[in-house]
Order: sequence, then structure tokens, then C-alpha cells
Amino acid sequence: MVYKQSIGRKLFVVVNGFVLTAVMLLGVLPFVHLLAISLSSNSAAMAAEVKLWPVGFTLEAYNYLAQKSEFLRSLGISAERVALGTAVNMLLVVITAYPLSKSNAQFKYRTAYVWFFAVTMFFGGGLIPTYIVVKETGLLNTIWALILPGALSVWNMVMLLNFFRNVPKDMEEAAVIDGASHWALLWKVYLPVSLPAIATIVLFTVVGHWNSWFDGILYMNSPEKYPLQSYLSTLVTSINKQAISVEDLKRLENVSEKTLRTAQIFLGALPIMLVYPFLQRYFIKGITVGSVKE
Amino acid sequence: MKNKALRRFRLELPLHLLLIPGVLVTLVYAYGPMFGIVMAFQKFSPALGFLHSKWVGLKNFKYVFNLPDFSQVLWNTFYISLLKVALGIVVPLVLALLLNEAAKNWFKRLVQTSIFLPFFLSWTVLGGVIFELFSLKGPINSLISGLGAQPIMFLGSNTWFPAIIVGSDVWKGMGYNMIIFLAAIVGINMNLYEAAEVDGAGKWKQLIHVTLPGIAPIVILLSTLSIGGILNAGFDQILILYNPTVYESADVIDTFVYRLGIFDQQYAPAAAIGLFKSAVSLGLVSLSYYLAYKFSNYRIF
Amino acid sequence: MKIKLYGGLTTAMILMSSVLVTACSDNSGKQAAAPAASQQQPAAAKTPEKADPFGKFAQPVTVTQVLGFRPPEDPKTPKGITPEQNGYLKQLKDMLNIDVKYMWTVPTEQYEQKFSLAVASGDLPDLMVVDQKMFEKLYEQGMLADITDAYKTYASPTLKKYVEGDGGFALGMFTRDGKIYGLPSYEDPYMSTQIMWIRTDWLKNLGLEPPKTIDELEKVAEAFVKNDPDKNGKADTYGLALQKKLIFWGFDARGLFNSMGAYPTAWLKGSDGKLMAGEIQPETKNVLAKLQSWYQKGILDKEWALKDDQKAVEDIVAGKVGISFGEWWYPNWPLNLNKDKDPNAEWKPFPLPSFDGKPGKSLVNKIRLNKVVVVNKKAKHPEAVIKMASFYNEMERSKYKDINKAENGWVYNWYEPRIYNPNNFENLFQAVNEAVANKKDKVESEKDETVIQGADEVFKAAKDYLAGDKKAWGLYFSRAADDGGWGLTRKIRDQKLVTFNEYYGPATPTQVEKGASLDKLMDETFTKIIMGSAPIDEFDKYVSSWKKLGGDDITKEINDWYAKNAK
Repeated sequence: MVYKQSIGRKLFVVVNGFVLTAVMLLGVLPFVHLLAISLSSNSAAMAAEVKLWPVGFTLEAYNYLAQKSEFLRSLGISAERVALGTAVNMLLVVITAYPLSKSNAQFKYRTAYVWFFAVTMFFGGGLIPTYIVVKETGLLNTIWALILPGALSVWNMVMLLNFFRNVPKDMEEAAVIDGASHWALLWKVYLPVSLPAIATIVLFTVVGHWNSWFDGILYMNSPEKYPLQSYLSTLVTSINKQAISVEDLKRLENVSEKTLRTAQIFLGALPIMLVYPFLQRYFIKGITVGSVKE
Repeated sequence: MKNKALRRFRLELPLHLLLIPGVLVTLVYAYGPMFGIVMAFQKFSPALGFLHSKWVGLKNFKYVFNLPDFSQVLWNTFYISLLKVALGIVVPLVLALLLNEAAKNWFKRLVQTSIFLPFFLSWTVLGGVIFELFSLKGPINSLISGLGAQPIMFLGSNTWFPAIIVGSDVWKGMGYNMIIFLAAIVGINMNLYEAAEVDGAGKWKQLIHVTLPGIAPIVILLSTLSIGGILNAGFDQILILYNPTVYESADVIDTFVYRLGIFDQQYAPAAAIGLFKSAVSLGLVSLSYYLAYKFSNYRIF
Repeated sequence: MKIKLYGGLTTAMILMSSVLVTACSDNSGKQAAAPAASQQQPAAAKTPEKADPFGKFAQPVTVTQVLGFRPPEDPKTPKGITPEQNGYLKQLKDMLNIDVKYMWTVPTEQYEQKFSLAVASGDLPDLMVVDQKMFEKLYEQGMLADITDAYKTYASPTLKKYVEGDGGFALGMFTRDGKIYGLPSYEDPYMSTQIMWIRTDWLKNLGLEPPKTIDELEKVAEAFVKNDPDKNGKADTYGLALQKKLIFWGFDARGLFNSMGAYPTAWLKGSDGKLMAGEIQPETKNVLAKLQSWYQKGILDKEWALKDDQKAVEDIVAGKVGISFGEWWYPNWPLNLNKDKDPNAEWKPFPLPSFDGKPGKSLVNKIRLNKVVVVNKKAKHPEAVIKMASFYNEMERSKYKDINKAENGWVYNWYEPRIYNPNNFENLFQAVNEAVANKKDKVESEKDETVIQGADEVFKAAKDYLAGDKKAWGLYFSRAADDGGWGLTRKIRDQKLVTFNEYYGPATPTQVEKGASLDKLMDETFTKIIMGSAPIDEFDKYVSSWKKLGGDDITKEINDWYAKNAK
């Protein structure tokens, strides 16, 4: 497609480029800052002297991490959680969103079902009751405790439902005339057409599983089973009381390794940044709709 | 007649079947814990549990609503999150539209990835960055004094602090909604653009007549869902950034409840607040749902 | 549609009630078990087995516990070791036939929350390590075992000496109606004494003497702002370190308040013999007025009210500030980091300055409680817990030195219960100084079965530092140097230049209900006054609101408590 480029259009492209570059820098600079801290000497980091370039360059933090077994072990658990969790979540989101994307004429009870799910977005039982339910269903200390309670993200489901409604009706009708079942319709028509939405939700699910740390601490009975972010959260210490004991002090002295902490935060975000570009190809215009239409 | 209903049921049966797993999980793990709501009406004590704790009726609600400053805190919560909701939709939407117009694919990808990055960092980490940025000796104030104006203590000013809270939240989260909007834009049928072009519509007209209507359902959906969070103004973020000088403009429900718990783990007032928030959210979302249905005959979900 | 929704809800109700039923049966089980446990305990005491603290159980005894842990501190600890593999536990099994079973382990930071969940879901272990707040809760709910007999019969002499090291004051806090429900582990209360840390190299650069009065302190602080104490040609320093929480654990304003006779958040004995809240006294107003003027003069950082403890520490490390009030331990963190950055930096502690001719007296709490060891009422062998506590102190003794090593997988900070000698700190100071003075190669780290924890480590630091190793300064100067942190603190202790906080009970009902609002009021008012955004007379308004909003009720409750508990 070649547009005739007017002057206004050219100007727009330039300004747009500038705006987007500025926004991009806003996102990247904090990471550069963290990277610089993780590569600096601890006293420079503690004195907040490091801005965007390391002060007193050293790889000490990374060398130390490379031999730390906890880091690698929890990384493995996170990988397992993301793989398993994303598979379960996506399956549930897709098979739940599909029936609910039908109109009331096609599926009489859809609205009742939708509200049944939607209410849970606003009402919850709170921490203790949820813990009790997870315990009573025997999930404590298993990876399923991190997956099943949130297995159906209603938010994502509602979003996908809306995307499913955009599936061109003529495609659906054509498939039905060919004798396709709901199952076939879902996999052969709905999913391929909704790839950008699916990619988006996969991304959110992966990120969600990767980032959540509190459930790991809550439901796992020993730190050997912590996913990465739960493990990382144990490195941030805060003293929230007036009297500080000799043992608290030892903790302060040990955890004050700001460079080490920063290195781990940085590494913790790295894998997910690598997943992202991979999913991005689904956002590029033109691929999806064009390729499905035969 | 009966036959017809039966046929309809058989036709819809596969749809019911598909919903079974989702319904089960939701029943057990979302509805299951809701028995905890009773806590809001009890003088809850962990040792006695939900059955044996003393019932106190609405006392927890009265206690919370009668706390000094509660109305101030409620108002702070409301206006901060309202701004967050509004800008959290508009900014990513504009960015998505701009990004969609970017010429080069590599540039698009790069920007997209970068915008998403802050989303990965916790407020604990970002708090330090924001403090540096807005401190009296920070880059922004250097710029201000460079222009000959007086430096501003942003994080200590009741005028600026809420703006920083809203701004940084929008910045952190904008990648998230932007991607949804991009997915929606990409999903618009190309034929519509081609048709518009044939009709002689320029880029601007295409935007108004094709792109925006195409993503309107998603925009409305996200706005509605965000309105459901209107009483969550962002706990971690405010707790890390605020200080006594800006309590009057930035103390929100969640930070308030957090401080209540410092003397004693007060589960019950927190549960009462939680229930109150849930009821408000559900009310607002139901209202938007109803309005959208009434005026545009569109079911948001 | 309505019917369908209803159906869903009914199912949910059924499900809920089933959970409630289990919770219920759980609870009745608790009631049933309680008498059994109380029968159990005298029975155990009566067993023919001799009352030997280190006697081996004939049958294996299992003790369940939970653990809030941190990574092992010693780098020589074998990699990948778990709390279950701790060397202490193997020895415990061999020596006493006790098996420890961890129900869960969690990093220290999340311990409190996870423990609350355990309480709520009725999953409590036999042995628990709690704080005072949790102790009160568990006691009120009748969930704690009476361990009087077990303690009297099975505690080793050393353990008794530690628990009752303050004449039984601490133990008395956890004794109700003559029955012991918890064993406290605490430190010397004087360890909370506030002192004043000053950059003495800056004093020297400017030709100033260490300040002895508030007025002199003000002059020094002003000089630190204006006269370029670090001689770098830039006006980039300020006087006094401060952070947004005025009353906190360090780098805060407690020391300054105390110097001028003000004790916010503490309860002091008034002239009428009744306790009164420190935050509403006229002395507090004086300090606020002083701080307000200091803020205007630039002695405080313009942005102190925005800075948390981390940021305040950053300024100290970066060499931007020269005075900080605090406790004895600063040299080992963060002052040592400042010295790493700037080898010329010298920090020394000084007593609180005097004001109006009266010496500054630091606030000291009656007790510096670390934790309380308690036993579940349902536990079958409370005496096993007492034995475990005695066992820990026994293992510290020099005769076990060859096996009790990090490289053998002994991780002390994973073992509970650890009850320390409250006088350890003073013993350590004396032993190390004695060894240094007499040029010994080894410090005497055990005397009359009392082990001095950390003596070897501090002695080594002392030797290294005196031989010129600057890295050892932090440990040495905080714990062993005569003019260092503890060295000065113990002199203040001997002169009794302190004021006691008379209240050490749990939060009163009105405190629980109104405390958060009152705290907010205080933080807001004090901060605004200091920043100059409210006039000093705002304080009087604060006092009357404080009284109205619950302060008067709290004062009454505190005094009721005092009437009952004062000694």
C-alpha cells in the first residue's frame, strides 16, 4: 500500500517518532539505572551515587549469584509454574469465553453465567478463608496451589469474550453449514481469527504467573518450593518496629548488599522480557485476518 | 412446545459442558472462601474461627465510618483512582493509535517492549527511582531552576503529590492496556479500511470512522472494569511514596486500613471495608452495564 | 435466568457449609484435646526418668514447630542445606531422642503473617516462638500450655540463669496467676540507649569541639551546613540526619527529643505518681520549635520529611551528613559503609547533649524483648521443648566446639528455641577487653558454663583493627572499643542517665481502636510544625484533639494497668 504523503502526514510521522521515542526512553531508563547499580560497588550504590552508568564497576554481584543454588532452583520452579499455569489458564479462559460470547438467542443462559463469574471480580472472601479452602482441598505445598485458585481469570475471560464477538458472522455460518461442531468451530474459526487477543492474554498470563510472589509464600511450606519472585521478595528486608534486636542487625548488615539485590531484580525481569518479542509477531497488522480467509 | 425446549437444550448442551470446568473452579476457589464475609459482622478472633467469633452486627462498619478523617480518606481514594482510571484508558489508547501509525516494524516492536518494561518492576524499586527523579536536586528540578523558576518539592506538596501518584501509575501500567488496544486495532477487518480508502477517506477520517468504532467495545469494557476498582487507589505505591505532609491529599482507604492494623491485627474492620468496597464496585459496574445495554443495546460482558 | 443463578449460589452455599463443618469439627477437637494435654503434663513430670535436662527420652518424641528463617550467615555453611538437615537436629536426635518436624518454614519477613494464618486455620505446632502481642492473643484464647512444672523440673541451670537474668522481671510478664506460660528471650534494656554519633573528622576540619549542650550542637550543626566540613568546595552537606518517621528504630529524632527532656510515645511518671503520655507534654513542644528553627537554618535536609530510613542511610553513606542520633550499633552498619567510601571519615559517639543545664537522658524501655517461647496446649511433651531450649545453650559450650561448626552443617539461626544470655553483651565487652589488654591469643569465651556468644569473632576484629585492618572497625568499634558504641552506652548505664518508659503492657482497647488515628494526628502535626507549614501553636490544638479523640481514655486505661502492675 502506498499512500500519497501530504506534508501534514510527513510532519505527523516525524512528531510521532519523537513522541514514541520519548515514551520508550521513559520505559527503558529505570532498567538501565538498575543495571548500572548492579554493576557498581556496594558503597557507591548505598550512597545513591549511581545514576545511569556504573560507579566502581564490578561483576561481583553476578559472580556471587552464579554460584547461588537458590536462585537457579527458584528459577526452575517459576518456569514450571509459568508453563503449567499458562496452559491451564488459557484452556479455561478459551473454553469459558466461547459459550459466553454467544448471543442470548444462541445460548439462553449466558447472562446468568456471565454474572456468576463477574461477581467474583468484586467479592472475595479474603486471605484467611482462601487459605482455608486451599488447605482443605489438599493443595497446600503443591504447585497446584499456585495454579488452581486463579485458574480462571474472569477479567481475561471477559476480554476474550468481547474479542470472540468480533469473529465475522459469515465465517461462523459457513463453518456451521459445513457441519462443524462447537468444538470444531472454536478451534478452527474462533481461535485463528482471535490470535492477537490470544497472544495478548497469553502474555498477561505469563507475566501474572511470573510476577506473583505472595501466593508462593502463603501456600508453600518451605522455601525450596518458592518460585523466583517469592524468593526475591525474601531479599528485601524492612524493619517495622522501634526496638531493633542484635539479630535484626545481622539481617540489616547482610541484606544491605544493594548491588546483589538489584542484580537479582534485574535478572528476575530478564526472562520475561525475552518472551515478549516472541509473542509480538502476532500484533503485526495483516497477518491474522488475511491468513485465515482462504 | 416442550419438544422445542428440549431441542434447544440439546443444541445448547455442548455450551453448558464447556462451562463446567470454569464453573467448578470458580465455585470452589472464588465462592468457597466467601464464607469469610461473615467476618465483617463479627468481632473476629482467629483462635475462635468463623463459627465461634462473637457477632457484632454493623459495629465494624460504624467503627470504620466514624473514624476521624474517614470522609477525607474516602474522597482522596475516589478522586485519585478516578483520575487513574480515566488517564489509564486515554493515554494507552492514544499511544496505541500513535504506535499503529509508526512506519517501521522494528521501531514498533522496540517501543512496545519498552513501554511494557516498567510493568515488571515493583513499587519498592520504582519508589526509589521516582524519589530521585522528583527530588529537589533531581533532574526535573534542575530543569525548572534552569528555566529560572523556583524548585518545587513535588513529593511534599499536596498539589503535586496526587498528580505524581496518578502519573506514575499511568506510566507503569500503560503498556498493559496499550497492548489490549493494539490487539483490538489489529483485529479490525482490513476490508473496512480498503472500503474507506476507496471512498476517499484520509487517515484522519479512517481513524474516526473505522478504527475508533472498531475498538469501542474494548474501550468501554476496560473502562467499566476499571471503574470496578474505583476504591482501590493503589496501596503499595502510596505507602512507599507518601509521608505525613501529604496525608491530607493522599491518605487512601487501603493505607488507612493498613495503619489500623499496626496496633493489632484487626481483621474485622478490614473485612468490613473490603465488603464496602466490593458492594460499591459491583454497584458501579452493574450501573455501567445497564446503561451500556440500555443506550447502545450492547452487553459489555 | 434467575433460577440458574440461584442454583449456582445454592451449590456454593453447600460447599461453604461443608468447609464450615470441617472448621467446626476442628474446633471441637481442640476442646477435647485440651483436658487430655493437661493430664498428660503432670504425668510426664512424674515419670521415673530422672529430671535431667539432657536425659534421653526412652521413646522417640516428636515436636512440631514452624520456622521463620534467614539464609545461613556463615559462608562456610554447605550449599543447598535445608533446615531439616541442620546439624543441631541430628545432635538433638542422638542426644535427647527428639525429632523436630517443621510444619512450614518461611522467611522471617513473612513469619508473622503466615503464623496468623496458622492460628486462624487452627494448625498450630507444639513449639512456637511469638512476640508479646501474639502471646497475649494466644493466652486469652486459652491456647497455651502451663509450662511451670516442665520449666522447674527440666530447665538446665544455664537456661534458668538466662531466663531469670533480670531478677525474674521478664519472666513475670509471661506468668499469670503464678503459672508460667512463656519463656522470654531478651537483651539488656540499656542497649536501646540513644547516643549521638558525630563525624569527628569534620569537627577537626573546622576546629570545633564535640558539643556538650544543645546550643553547642546547634553551632556545630550550622557549621556542618555552612563551612564546608568535607573541604570539597561545595555546599553539599547538612547537619542532622532525619527521616520521615520521627520515632522509629534509627536515624530518627528520638535522641534529640530525649536530650531536651521530651519522650513522645512513651509513658512517664508525673509528679502526681500517675503515668502521662510523653507526646503531649510542653517539652515536646520545645523540641518541635527547635526543629522548626533548625529546618529554616538548613540544619535538617530540606526533604527530610520525604525520606525513609533507606534514604537517610544513603545520605550518611554518601558523606552528606555529619550528625545522627541512634544506638550503639551504627559502626557495623551503616557507618562502616561511609568509611569504605571515604577512608578519612571518622565517627565517634557522644552522650546526649544537655539542655537548660540538665543532662540529656535517653529513654529506655523496661524490657528489650526479642521473643517468647511458648508451648501449644495440645502438645504432648512440653518438657521436650524446655529440654530443647537447654540443649541449645549446652551446644554453645566449648566442649562441642569441634562438632558445632558451620562447615558441618550446623546453622544456629535455624534452630529454635534459642534463649540468650541477657548479659551476653556486657560479658563480651569485658572478656574481649581483658584479652586485648593482656595481649592474649585467645579470648576466654566460657566461664561457669556461661558461653559468651560472638566473643571469638569480636576478639578477632579487635586484634585485626588494632593491627591496622580498617575493615574490622565496624564490629570492633560497635561492640568492644572503650570509646565506641557499647563502650559509651555502658558508661551511661553506670551513671543511670536514662529515663524509663513505665508502660510495658500490651496495647489497651482504646489504643487498638484509636491508636492509628492518634498516630496520624501526631505525625501530621509534628511534621508540619517542623517544616514550617504550621505555626508552633498548632501543638496546643493537637494536645486538645489528642485528648478528645481517645487520648484521655487511653491514659486512664494505662493508669489502671499501672496501678495493678507497678512495682
